[in-house]
Amino acid sequence: MKEMHGLKDIPKESLIGGGTSTCQGCGAMLGCKLLLKALGKRTVLVNTSGCMTLTALYPYTPYKVPWVHVAIETGGSAATGISMGLKALKKNATIAVYAGDGASYDIGFESLSGLAERNEDVLYVCYNNSAFSNTGFQRASSSPWGSKTSTTPPGPRTPEGNAFSRKDLAKIMAVHRIPYVATACISHPIDYMNKVIRASKIRGCKFIDLLVPCPTGWGFQSADTVDVGRRMVDAGLWPLYEYDGKAKQFKVSVTPRLIPVAEALKDQARFRHLDAKQINRIQTMVDKQWQLLKAGKYFEADFY
Amino acid sequence: MIDIMDGNMAVSHGAMLSRVQCMPCFPITPATEIIETMAEWSRSGKWNGQYRLMESEHAVMAAAIASEMVGARTFTATSSQGLELMHELLPIASGTRSPLVMANVCRGISAPITLWGDHTDFLSTRDFGWLMFSCATNQEVIDTVPIAYKVSEDSDVLLPSMLAMDGFVHSYTRSEVDMPAQAEVDRFLPRLRLKTCIDVDNPASLGIPAADEYSYFRVQVHKAQLNALDAIERVQGEWERRFGRRYGLAEKSHMDDADVAVVAMGANCANIRSAVEELRKRGKKAGLLRLRLIRPWPLDYIRRALSGASKVLVIDQDLAPGRGGMLYPEVRAATDGAVVSNFIAGLGGKPVRQSEYAAMISDALRAREPFRRFLI
Repeated sequence: MKEMHGLKDIPKESLIGGGTSTCQGCGAMLGCKLLLKALGKRTVLVNTSGCMTLTALYPYTPYKVPWVHVAIETGGSAATGISMGLKALKKNATIAVYAGDGASYDIGFESLSGLAERNEDVLYVCYNNSAFSNTGFQRASSSPWGSKTSTTPPGPRTPEGNAFSRKDLAKIMAVHRIPYVATACISHPIDYMNKVIRASKIRGCKFIDLLVPCPTGWGFQSADTVDVGRRMVDAGLWPLYEYDGKAKQFKVSVTPRLIPVAEALKDQARFRHLDAKQINRIQTMVDKQWQLLKAGKYFEADFY
Repeated sequence: MIDIMDGNMAVSHGAMLSRVQCMPCFPITPATEIIETMAEWSRSGKWNGQYRLMESEHAVMAAAIASEMVGARTFTATSSQGLELMHELLPIASGTRSPLVMANVCRGISAPITLWGDHTDFLSTRDFGWLMFSCATNQEVIDTVPIAYKVSEDSDVLLPSMLAMDGFVHSYTRSEVDMPAQAEVDRFLPRLRLKTCIDVDNPASLGIPAADEYSYFRVQVHKAQLNALDAIERVQGEWERRFGRRYGLAEKSHMDDADVAVVAMGANCANIRSAVEELRKRGKKAGLLRLRLIRPWPLDYIRRALSGASKVLVIDQDLAPGRGGMLYPEVRAATDGAVVSNFIAGLGGKPVRQSEYAAMISDALRAREPFRRFLI
């Protein structure tokens, strides 16, 4: 597929049927639909246990492409098996993993790392709602500092809620020496889909960390999913970039307006417990991060 | 063709003869030689399948399930802690009806760590829906790989198979093996053709969750296991016609008039059989029923085989702490009125002398009440 310039270029036909059992306003489902629109029909979609698993429930499936689920921590390993099987039978297909952040940052990290180390010809998209959302929004190592989850409730000992800074998975994947790493957000569909299209034309392991706002977990109205995502990007809280692993080049793909982080955080109930000092801490971190990113110092920047 | 090889080489040849197409793997003692052999054959071009060194046994099993779902014949091998790490995925392999075959080179489970053999690793997977073959010789190992594929891939079965052999006693011990001819194995085992698989021209969703139908699917796995009993007899009958070697649901030695029947599995059965024959020479009517099939559990066959014996001794080279031998309750449920005793010996490969087996069998013959003894 050719790269897109505007929303009109997005194919109308969806490879996922309607009426799936996701929450209203689910960012992850939007991300999955856009992924398949960019990749087309000759795609095998590898799922890991999580929100997206329950979209197929016997005897129904919304997927018009082959879809495989093995377990939660098997994104990279099951994709490897699919690749082996297709090669053994001399069949051709694009293999895409669409796995949650818990299944990628945490429990399935080993399998993702193995996939990258072997440089399997697979596109791995981590749909990142920044917690274990399917089980009721428990903290994952993708949860940002200061976010409230059901296992990091703000209290006298940890007024900030989640006291840990998130793992920077995209950067960890970049140092796996795979050819392509990117971040994306469903609020910027053209940027996201073009990254998918670019990645799909590269042989080897490709990784995209896709931010998908989660109305039930983050705490916002289901109509606001795209706006919430856009403000995360605008505030610089979720940098959109590409890393070309062959040329070793880092490039910001959408330059953020850098609105105050408070404006993005106030959208979401998970940050509502933060006081001005705590918000300021996040602002300072984001400012420093962007100073470094603008200077091209990707590996020196500590991402929020 | 008669060759001399150890069990790890026998299982590798079994996989080659079965024309396996995919092998994801991870090394573990005492199965590592299988992984190394296939790597060498892959590199030299002797074998043209897809070979992958995965990052863990968990990843191996996930990849094996997935490549089998594509419709490619898949093989792997592991042992002990490796098998334990796969546990989560073993019922997924059976639930998704993926007919892959895995060799488990039996080794005691940690802790403390042991590299030596017992059957606790293998038997602890018995409730996961896999067909479970236990081998006693290197010949049986090489023959059981294609047999297991043919049974697993039967449309009335469609379940994964696990083949057990003993660490060190098989894996590193050479013995005579009659190598089946490739052309004849090809006639015996046709190419794999799955009706439902991952195919972009015919999309399906595999491994999907079920709500109300959950119990239906798991009961289907049970029914497929029972179907496998017929399939195993049919397939092993065909193997015998083609290759002249007969395998039953279990193997009987001196069982026809036995007063005391010994039930055991694995390579130590060679030693146990010698003890039985020693007792026969002393006028004691002992017999051996060597288990070849753990799942499906051939209950009727075992019940008939044991029906004439008033005393039974189950020798477990495994341990379920809090219960005892793992084979014991299963065998006992197949007896009617016999005094059934349990001897737990050989844990972590601890050697058991023939005389120790003979003494225990004599005690079982005399026992009025069932006993349970350990060789510690």
